[in-house]
Amino acid sequence: MQQEFNTPQRQSPIGILVLFFYTLQKFARAFLPFILIYFFKSDKINLLYVIPSILVALLLLGVYAYFIYLNFTFHIDDENDEFILNEGIFNKTKTTIQLEKIQQVNINQSFIQKIIGVYALEVDTAGSAKKEGSIKAISHHLALALKAKLLDNEKKVVQQDEIKFDAETIINDEPKPFIKISLLTLLKIGITSNYLRSLALLFVFYSYVQENLRNFSETDYLDGSQVEDFFSAQSILRGVLIAGIILITIVLLVNIVRTVVKFFDFTISKQKGSLLLSYGLFNTKGTIIKPEKVQITTITRNFFQRKMDILEIKIQQASSGDSISKKDITEIPGCNELEKNKILKLIFDTIPEKGIMLKPNWRKLGFSIFLGIIIPLSLYFAFGTYLEPLAFDYVLFAVGYTIFVAIILFFSYRNNRLFINDDFIILQSGVWDVDNRIIEISKIQALTTSQLFWHKSPDIGSLIIHTAGGDIHFGLGNFTKVKQYVNLWLYEVETKNMNWM
Amino acid sequence: MEIFTNNTIDLNELPRFETVEFQKLQPSYWKVLVLNQAITFVVLAIILCFVTYFVKEIKGEVVFLWITLAALIVISFIFSRIAFIKKGYAFREHDVLFKNGIIATNTIIIPYNRVQHVALHEGWLSRYFGLAKIEIFTAGGSASDIEIPGIEKEKAEKIKQLLMGKIQQQL
Repeated sequence: MQQEFNTPQRQSPIGILVLFFYTLQKFARAFLPFILIYFFKSDKINLLYVIPSILVALLLLGVYAYFIYLNFTFHIDDENDEFILNEGIFNKTKTTIQLEKIQQVNINQSFIQKIIGVYALEVDTAGSAKKEGSIKAISHHLALALKAKLLDNEKKVVQQDEIKFDAETIINDEPKPFIKISLLTLLKIGITSNYLRSLALLFVFYSYVQENLRNFSETDYLDGSQVEDFFSAQSILRGVLIAGIILITIVLLVNIVRTVVKFFDFTISKQKGSLLLSYGLFNTKGTIIKPEKVQITTITRNFFQRKMDILEIKIQQASSGDSISKKDITEIPGCNELEKNKILKLIFDTIPEKGIMLKPNWRKLGFSIFLGIIIPLSLYFAFGTYLEPLAFDYVLFAVGYTIFVAIILFFSYRNNRLFINDDFIILQSGVWDVDNRIIEISKIQALTTSQLFWHKSPDIGSLIIHTAGGDIHFGLGNFTKVKQYVNLWLYEVETKNMNWM
Repeated sequence: MEIFTNNTIDLNELPRFETVEFQKLQPSYWKVLVLNQAITFVVLAIILCFVTYFVKEIKGEVVFLWITLAALIVISFIFSRIAFIKKGYAFREHDVLFKNGIIATNTIIIPYNRVQHVALHEGWLSRYFGLAKIEIFTAGGSASDIEIPGIEKEKAEKIKQLLMGKIQQQL
């Protein structure tokens, strides 16, 4: 039977029950704390009040669910090829989705829906993780008919794609591996990366040790003489030092083992334009990278890694409808300059060159120094002067902090650069691990410029580039230049109509 | 070097988004904002009245609560007024621009060929004044979506048609 969806229609009437249970669930979750408090606080609960009020609440919820049902309609506008959803009792929302944009239609059944015997239908378009349109209660045959109808218009495009994809797999039964990452490279990566995590671990361990030592000294050394105290302090220092060295070794070992186990036998092979990755020691994982879906490519390297000629690549693809995870990030743990160029060439057809360079204004450094050093230091001095002079005993800490933060801020400012090419935008950032994030201009989804009003006369402002794989932020650049490039990129995106996934 | 100079000429001849004339939101949308805030603050004030009346222990401090509430009302009205004045939108041939911000001026630009879908939202108060909000979604996550509030209903419908038309044209 051919179902028509031209006129706005409601969900299955029985679906009111589903809506009722959903709203009940929502309200229960929101008000549970209050209800519990009420029950525990009041000594004697008068059932004469409680039961009628519960009944009234349920009745109100039922009416509410009924109105949700009444106000929810969906239909397909054949003239414009749109799927239209209307919803809302007081606040009304009308969602319009072009049939061509629909990537996927899912028919699901939750526990409640199973009991009542209806299905949920969810419409998904590219990019954002959340479902753009969802119908909560629809009968199975109607759901199937609607799904067919929704995907019908797209068929021309999608099926071609699928056939092409099938053909790909048939023709290329044996993909040729072209990059293999050796065990040695993995070891190098294990030693040189994830310092931040190691540092965090180190800190946790240190505070743990210190805490225990303090307890220890409080009980045993409290009545000891000055000399004993000195010796114990020294032994504590030595102990901490040894513990630290041991810890670093442990962390490095864990890092190495983790890297090797996760990425053992990392093989990259070509398969008709796509990249096939397979890796893993115990269970081999596989990932496919389709160049047209790649949104952001990040190349990360730190000082040691530069000396050893290794680098890490992270690739963010546009999340296609089938994966619920927001972003597909694929990691290639270690390759050298040559291999990197090979991979980039496969993704972009060319090796992205760093073109014209934009630097952030010195005010960016100034502002971060203000936030990171001047404010904390003045708080410290104010505290020491007006409240607790003892604080000045730790002035060495303040000096150490200032130097440490100053170094970090300086390097993060120095490494922060935006490179602009005819086809690519490369954002360089980072303190120790320097990231180079590459975006193809054709992958731009939207552009945001931002300027604080006191930055008008020095002509500086920020730029955010939105892609389907995440945003890129470049702060306090020359605003005239930024605006020029925004105009250029808009022109490119709007005239060339390039495919972004 | 030649390519570079070509580019510079191009850059200056391109249509410039910063010179676009932005359209303001409907003046009646300000009423919606005021009413919305008024309702919130009336509720808060009623709660505070109850507190003043029933909770005897904080009788001395309750004045400060009232002062805080008054300050909140003033600040909230000033900020929402600034935000209202600074909001603006423009539809060009190939893209939609939206400007907002209180201390910063943010301009977000979405090319029509990157629009994924469009939604028309009417709040219950807005509906009373015949206003609607257009939400324009791209594939780039919530930061790259545009919400233009305070547009007349018919105009919003037209804009939606225009957007959908543009989207279709591109395909």
